[in-house]
Amino acid sequence: MTEPLLTIENVAVSFQTATGPRVAVKDVSYSVARGRTLAVVGESGSGKSVTARTIMGMLAPNARVGETTKVVFDGDDISNWPEEKLRDLRGRRISMIFQEPLTSLNPVYKIGDQVAEIIRSHREIGKAELKAEVIRLLTEVQLPDPEARYGQYPHELSGGQRQRVMIAMALANDPDLLIADEPTTALDVTVQAEILGLIKALQDKHGMAVILITHDLTVVEHVSDDVVVMRHGEVVERGETSQVFADPQHAYTKHLLASEPKGKPDPIEGDAPIVMEGEHLRIVFHLKAGGFFNPQYRELVAVDNVSASIRRGETLGIVGESGSGKTTFGMSLIRLGANQEGQISFKGERIEHLTRKQMRPLRPKIQVVFQDPFSSLNPRMIIRQIIEEGLTVNGLAPAERRDRIEQALTDVQMPLDCLDRFPHEFSGGQRQRLAIARAIALDPEFILLDEPTSALDLSIQAQIIDLLRELRRRRGLSYLFISHDLKVVRALCHNTIVMQHGKVVEFGPTSEVLERPQTDYTKRLVKAAFEVVA
Amino acid sequence: MSDASPLDLNAEATGGPSLSYGQLVRRRFYRNRFGMAGLIGCLIIIILSVFAGFFAPYSAATKDREAIFSPPQAIRIFAPEGGLTRPYVMGFTEEMDQTTFEITFAPDPEKQVRIVFFGEGEEWRFLGLTFDTHLFVGENGQPVHLLGTDGLGRDVLSRMFHGSSITLLMAFMVMGAACLIGTIVGVTSGYVGGRTDIVIQRIIEFVKSFPDLPLYLALVAILPTRADPLFIFIMFAMILVLLQWANLARELRGKVIAIRSVEFVRAAVAVGASDQRIILRHIVPNMSSHIIVWGTYVLPEVILLESFLSFLGVGVQQPMVSWGVMLNQVRDFQSLAAAPWLLAPVGMIILAVLAFNALGDGLRDAMDPYAND
Repeated sequence: MTEPLLTIENVAVSFQTATGPRVAVKDVSYSVARGRTLAVVGESGSGKSVTARTIMGMLAPNARVGETTKVVFDGDDISNWPEEKLRDLRGRRISMIFQEPLTSLNPVYKIGDQVAEIIRSHREIGKAELKAEVIRLLTEVQLPDPEARYGQYPHELSGGQRQRVMIAMALANDPDLLIADEPTTALDVTVQAEILGLIKALQDKHGMAVILITHDLTVVEHVSDDVVVMRHGEVVERGETSQVFADPQHAYTKHLLASEPKGKPDPIEGDAPIVMEGEHLRIVFHLKAGGFFNPQYRELVAVDNVSASIRRGETLGIVGESGSGKTTFGMSLIRLGANQEGQISFKGERIEHLTRKQMRPLRPKIQVVFQDPFSSLNPRMIIRQIIEEGLTVNGLAPAERRDRIEQALTDVQMPLDCLDRFPHEFSGGQRQRLAIARAIALDPEFILLDEPTSALDLSIQAQIIDLLRELRRRRGLSYLFISHDLKVVRALCHNTIVMQHGKVVEFGPTSEVLERPQTDYTKRLVKAAFEVVA
Repeated sequence: MSDASPLDLNAEATGGPSLSYGQLVRRRFYRNRFGMAGLIGCLIIIILSVFAGFFAPYSAATKDREAIFSPPQAIRIFAPEGGLTRPYVMGFTEEMDQTTFEITFAPDPEKQVRIVFFGEGEEWRFLGLTFDTHLFVGENGQPVHLLGTDGLGRDVLSRMFHGSSITLLMAFMVMGAACLIGTIVGVTSGYVGGRTDIVIQRIIEFVKSFPDLPLYLALVAILPTRADPLFIFIMFAMILVLLQWANLARELRGKVIAIRSVEFVRAAVAVGASDQRIILRHIVPNMSSHIIVWGTYVLPEVILLESFLSFLGVGVQQPMVSWGVMLNQVRDFQSLAAAPWLLAPVGMIILAVLAFNALGDGLRDAMDPYAND
């Protein structure tokens, strides 16, 4: 093994907040050599991104870096360098790719100009030469038709293409170290695999050192050479990836590795009645195109002739990439979404024509858990008020409300003393459990789960899945489970619908669909989910 | 945390004291020096205007015929013969220039008026009770005019204190009414949407396109010249409200549209909550910080508008006293040159505007839900 390119020692960072200082990183040391990939794994809040930003000298103004912190890059201790020297280092020798490609490109500049800007800020270069260089970079990141892309704006590109542009920008000055902060989290699974493959190929070609920050263990296993596991601002385990995966030492690493969603759903009774049924649903959005004087109306068919039925105790999964219409379908099935054509029935009763007021008596039976636990709980209410709301509007007596709230909290394994706290005091996983408690407190029969685990860390995902399975068994619940994560679907769903562009492309028992996919699209999804980098 | 086992569901845990949103805002605000200075300034101005009778040595209408256009008097604590003494002011001797007939005032060491703190003076009423204690008066009822007098011999300092209550009353009335109307209209427009929204938005545009100065001037034309000043005061306030609520309504409408599609509102729909409940329990509480901050920014705006319009003579009318009405006396250049101390209310206006703006800035920073520093 060669000399490490970057070594960080005893990094400590805390943030000044209104509630006093909060320690984000306690004592983190790691190093990475040229040509190697170091994966930094940990859940959100474990301090992995903060550590990376410390290397770049890009912390928020309220951050305080501890005195022990030492960052050695290529033999120089850069931890006390002034801002001007660091600026010269950033983008030239150390580059960073961010998580969100939709916001990290400036929407008012052309792609080519943004890449050129990076080159020009560190090199003297002629105009024609500059353009040739940008196009070479765009070709290198395998952006289709780079000449045309040069003059396009970010909104004309897909998420995956934008992330390629970000990579081109990061590579513009041939950096020695590339820091990729969750580069694929915001992308669809199929795109994710391509981006990771690209980073890997470029690394081999340029001999860069790569620090890959992620919470996705499958990515770590396939892409990295070494791994550092972080928790609560500390390194709990480090080593070569293969070794750590084969023989984890620390209890937390073991727990992380064990939290891949697994197991199969329990079978459903053969003659269970159908709870929720949607037939030939078609949802159309009307878009206005053309100018004021020649208006043209375009129809966007978000959901095209999709049918689904869910029996009691059944979990039906809907998978597909973003934009495939799965959430639109789910929301309109429970009458929370756009108007639709087609029929919806709940326990044999037609509900598609009911007004919002007429739906009210049915609401307690049909519940929903949203994707983002941070926006689904009102920040101005305490937990008691949040869970109680549904019970109050449905006219339950105070005593019964209290019993139901306590029962629901017990079911989601939250302590009762959380009732008087505000949502911002809880972590993502806890909030999602509280959101589930709000749904089950009403004693529903059907719950729409709209990507309930995708905003959560892996080990928390596993808890939520176990919880959902347990609740289904105990309460005889039926779920419609919307997800883009096939691993979770495999662990939870009896039947699965695969959607693409608003249409059903495949439907059947989950094991059939995932093990013997019939269409190319499903095959691609399955491959991306279970193999990552080909 | 004593139990750090990775398998403990609540390991990430809550710990620490439970702080409500209000408590967090207060903590953040207390750490903001600029905002705190603003808050203190605002409190001083408000206390001054509520207890104007106590702080001012005279009533707003009291005329001292012995002192017309008399200049400000400095408080002195050194006796002419040397050494410290009780605070006193000097009276003036008047001299008339025989060619220009200009009257000049010169301090007269012979006329010393000692200042008595918490002394008895003119009666003033507060909440129906009558008091006669003032913060300071001249000894034995002798006149003290720290900021001089106007052309009728009225004490500028006293009028300024009394005027602050009318000015602030106007500002708070306009703010309160504009907030109420703006919130109701804005939330309705954003929440109901559709045709209602379009109609309300067009009305707001109509209101906002009104040329406001002609509107104020028209007010003077409409009202009978002998109308009750109180009536004019209320009409004036109503016109200010009419022009202010539209801004808030428009801002809130945008925020309501954004928050209407946030998942906690949809979750409330999913549990069967009524529109009324969603608006009152979910939407308005999440708007409150915006409304409060908007209110603190509107206060200085109204103070400035009031003084501007009263200066022109179309706002608050005599015998009511406001800062603007006082400035109305220095409309012409001669009186400004002869008695520049009549501009004293400008200082109060600047102070008040700065204080309320600082308070608004501090509140806005403290209430920003995304800030955590």
